[in-house]
Amino acid sequence: MGNSKHLGLYLLAPAGIFVILFFLAPVILTGIFGFTNMSTATGITGGSYMVSESSMRPLRSHFGEEALADQLMQRVYTIDEAGLQAAAEAGGDAAAIRELEARFLGQSFDRRRDVEVAIKSLNARPSSTRAIKLISAEFERSVVNTRFDTPEEMLAAIAGFGIVLNNAQTEALVDVAYTGWTFTTQNFKTMLELPDTKKTLINTLFYVFATLILFNTGFALVLSISTHYMPSRPAGFFRSIWLLPRVTPPVLYVLMWKWLAWDTGFLSVILEPLGFAPRNWMLDTPANAWTFIILINGIVGASMGMLIFSSAIKAIPPALFHASEVDGATRRQQIWHIILPQLRWPILFITIYQTLSLLTSFEYILLATDGGPGGATEVWALSTYLKALSNYGGALQYGYGAALSLVLVVIGISVSLIYLKLFDFKNLTAPPKIE
Amino acid sequence: MSGNYRKWPIILFLGVLTAPLILMYIYLFVDTITNTPPGSMIPNEFTLEHWRLLTETIPGRPSIWLATWNTFVFATATTAIVLAVSSSAGYALSRLQLPARSFFLGGIMVLHAFPTVTLLIAIFLILQMLGLYNSLIGVILVKSALELPFGIWIMKGFYDTVPWEIEMAGIQDGATRFQVWTKLVLPQVKPAILALGIFSFLAGWSEFVLPLVLAPDNKVQVLSVYLAALIADDQNFDMALFKSVGVFYVIPVIILFVFFQNRLMNIYSGGTKG
Amino acid sequence: MRILLDKFTKNFGDLTVIDEMDLEVHDGEMVALLGGSGCGKSTTLFAICGIHKVNGGRILFGDRDVTNITSQERNVGVVFQSFALYPHMDVAHNIGFPLKLRKETSTEIQRKVDEIAEMVHIGPLLKRRPGELSGGQQQRVALARALIRRPDVLLLDEPLANLDATLRLEMRSEIRRIQRETGITAVLVTHDQVEAMSMCDRIAIMDAGKILQITEPSDMYNNPVSDYVAGFLGSPPISFLTGIIQNGSFIEPATGAKIPVRKAIAGSHAGREVRVGIRPEYYQPDKGVMIKGTVSMIEAQGRETLYVVTLPDGNILRSIQGSHSPVKIGDAVNWGIDAEHMLVFDKDGLLI
Repeated sequence: MGNSKHLGLYLLAPAGIFVILFFLAPVILTGIFGFTNMSTATGITGGSYMVSESSMRPLRSHFGEEALADQLMQRVYTIDEAGLQAAAEAGGDAAAIRELEARFLGQSFDRRRDVEVAIKSLNARPSSTRAIKLISAEFERSVVNTRFDTPEEMLAAIAGFGIVLNNAQTEALVDVAYTGWTFTTQNFKTMLELPDTKKTLINTLFYVFATLILFNTGFALVLSISTHYMPSRPAGFFRSIWLLPRVTPPVLYVLMWKWLAWDTGFLSVILEPLGFAPRNWMLDTPANAWTFIILINGIVGASMGMLIFSSAIKAIPPALFHASEVDGATRRQQIWHIILPQLRWPILFITIYQTLSLLTSFEYILLATDGGPGGATEVWALSTYLKALSNYGGALQYGYGAALSLVLVVIGISVSLIYLKLFDFKNLTAPPKIE
Repeated sequence: MSGNYRKWPIILFLGVLTAPLILMYIYLFVDTITNTPPGSMIPNEFTLEHWRLLTETIPGRPSIWLATWNTFVFATATTAIVLAVSSSAGYALSRLQLPARSFFLGGIMVLHAFPTVTLLIAIFLILQMLGLYNSLIGVILVKSALELPFGIWIMKGFYDTVPWEIEMAGIQDGATRFQVWTKLVLPQVKPAILALGIFSFLAGWSEFVLPLVLAPDNKVQVLSVYLAALIADDQNFDMALFKSVGVFYVIPVIILFVFFQNRLMNIYSGGTKG
Repeated sequence: MRILLDKFTKNFGDLTVIDEMDLEVHDGEMVALLGGSGCGKSTTLFAICGIHKVNGGRILFGDRDVTNITSQERNVGVVFQSFALYPHMDVAHNIGFPLKLRKETSTEIQRKVDEIAEMVHIGPLLKRRPGELSGGQQQRVALARALIRRPDVLLLDEPLANLDATLRLEMRSEIRRIQRETGITAVLVTHDQVEAMSMCDRIAIMDAGKILQITEPSDMYNNPVSDYVAGFLGSPPISFLTGIIQNGSFIEPATGAKIPVRKAIAGSHAGREVRVGIRPEYYQPDKGVMIKGTVSMIEAQGRETLYVVTLPDGNILRSIQGSHSPVKIGDAVNWGIDAEHMLVFDKDGLLI
């Protein structure tokens, strides 16, 4: 422990492990996942090989192998030992099965109806159609929807059906039959093509700038300047009250807003006598939804600006206020000429910092409107979350979600770099004074 | 504070703006112990029925006490990890010779401002691969990791304010750098550690998205997910019950806020020097 | 313009800082408010400019009662201790700020700024920011800003406290010159008696929220109303001895030396204990009533030398001498007190 160079590394090591595991690795993986089609359908680890309706679609459209696809999709009905045994286990008529074995063992039929005609021709034929179908179902033979662990197994099974493939066909089939995830740039193409992307982008820009201007800086300035012109007791009281939303857990904070907006909630009750029908004010119209989203996020966001601006105002020498007052400044002139110019850097800081956090925050929107009504308040970060991690939309599209979040990674890193450049990074990293 | 401007118009102005917020909080508490007739906002009877959740477990949900215990474990463990790791790393970055020191500092700054949603998908998959999905340990590790850049940055800032002379004197008196850190410098930053601890605890206590995504199971459910699931259930809509759970959930937060308000204000604004 | 404080009272909460103070500053006069920290001098200044509201009494500028009007309407110029220049404005904008607030035209503002910059000798600095100026330059800018709109009253709050020694000397005479040139009524707040004596027409010395004495500097030096005032003025400071009046003389307790006092005092205070003050220039080697002691400290001050002489009972006397004498520390000396200039104070510290 004597050598301070090594001590530093020891002390830094735990943090390093966390950073590598939960920042570096995820960022790199996000980069990789963004270029895959990974989803709940493909699984996270490797996949298997399977001929199915959906895997044949690209074989037809992309490789033009219509005939092969039809051939692969075909079902054959073969009377064999395995089928007879399965039919017996399924509870089929024992006499009928014995006779079937004696008369038809080894024969194949192209259609299920033909098998059933054969069964009906038996002396010991079952009396009901249901019983006939019970037996016939067991003889269906096909590669369709059977999972194979390796391509070789799949090809062997196909060969077993007498289907002969050339090299190109083999390659194409192995390609389309793979059910695991593969690398693709499709995510980014989809992103550019989908009209939803543009809508989400516009939503995001509107949300970030409206909240930022109205609340995170605007209302924060109102709060910090108005409390500056108060005796310290009321000022402290108001600052505490406006800090409460930030401290209140988001789930509860949003619940309070829901109570306000619910169709039996506060707004509905007090507005009803005024002729407004009770309704869910938060999800009523896109405009109302936006109003609530901006209020909910803005009031939380304003508290940080309030604290930073307040301490910046407190740092202004009192003599400057006194001087401007004897120089004849009204309150408005004092705010405009003395306070605001001194707040330039804090305002810039808050603007950059909050742009980034608004851009990537979705917790309050998720809780309040979940992007509704009809996707009207779906912003980029929420869309990422919903696509990749929310069950409502069916399959979880990890790959597409990762691609969406890569856009945020790029923005995040560039804004951080701007931030470092602006706020005098060198100053913050002055070298140690003990060698 | 001079006498040249009248104060009451400002107080009145802000009072009017603040009234709705105060009202929301008042109703939050009042509604949990009263009943209000439909179509009115004025409670007409006192009742404790909304608090039955403390003794009865709602069918299909974990007991609220289990959720509380999970939340407590989650918040405490996160705080412990954040404090231990960031007080050591912060010291190294503030005071010790390190190769590529400014690179580390820049990295911390970038991570500090890093969008966590972008990491969430990959972390979700990593935890699944590690077998830590749906476990408290997994989500504790992730939450701690995400809080670390902020914690390290704060601690570095506080270490920066400790006078160099203290360390120089310690070294002249024959202490190693490690002893200087544990015996001389750490006691100087106790208030910072307390502040960061409270902050991390509150952050853990309030966290919603991480447990929702990484540990949604009933056995490991925390209060935020518990409450959100109650609210999301369209079958049993009961605002007063939700509010009771909410008040129960927010009590520790309010207590910490009342006692440590000034420290919290400091850290909410101080972590980010402009 | 005359300033009149009539029974001015100021409280901070329950604490009464200034109780019914009266002060009149004549038109064109410069008066110093002199006192230690916490004596209420800055509070008085802040009340005159309106930053503090008064809790009782009146403040008049000329015949206008300004007690209840705001700073903005009072038309006072203030130079603050820290100069309070607006850091985000250049010098010209700083100086022109009061006119800009009055919505004067920019050409008018520019003309007046140039004119006043000329007077305080900062013409070439107009485009600089306050951060790029030396202390003395900042001081001049602050003065120019205070004077530009021709205030009725100029207030200076410890204007030299933030300057180094040589600049202080220079700005002392500069401020006085500018005040004379403009003929403005001025109030200077300071804790430095040299500043007060050298710059002002009259000094009001304050302690614990009260004006102890207000008069011209030399009068205050020679005829202080109390031992407190006597002790505040003069550098090196006056020395005090306590003893009894007997047979027309003050009996120095340690040596028994008899220092004659005026007849009136001898009569009225016979047999009573008094306190006498001897200024360093009136305790000299070769004249007056001789008192023996030991030299305990010697401070060379350049042109003059200060000797501290300890009497047998531990009291001290100071002596300032122009010529350097060969005396060393530890030497016994027998120097004389000029009885003529000895100040005699009664038990309550008031001059007799």
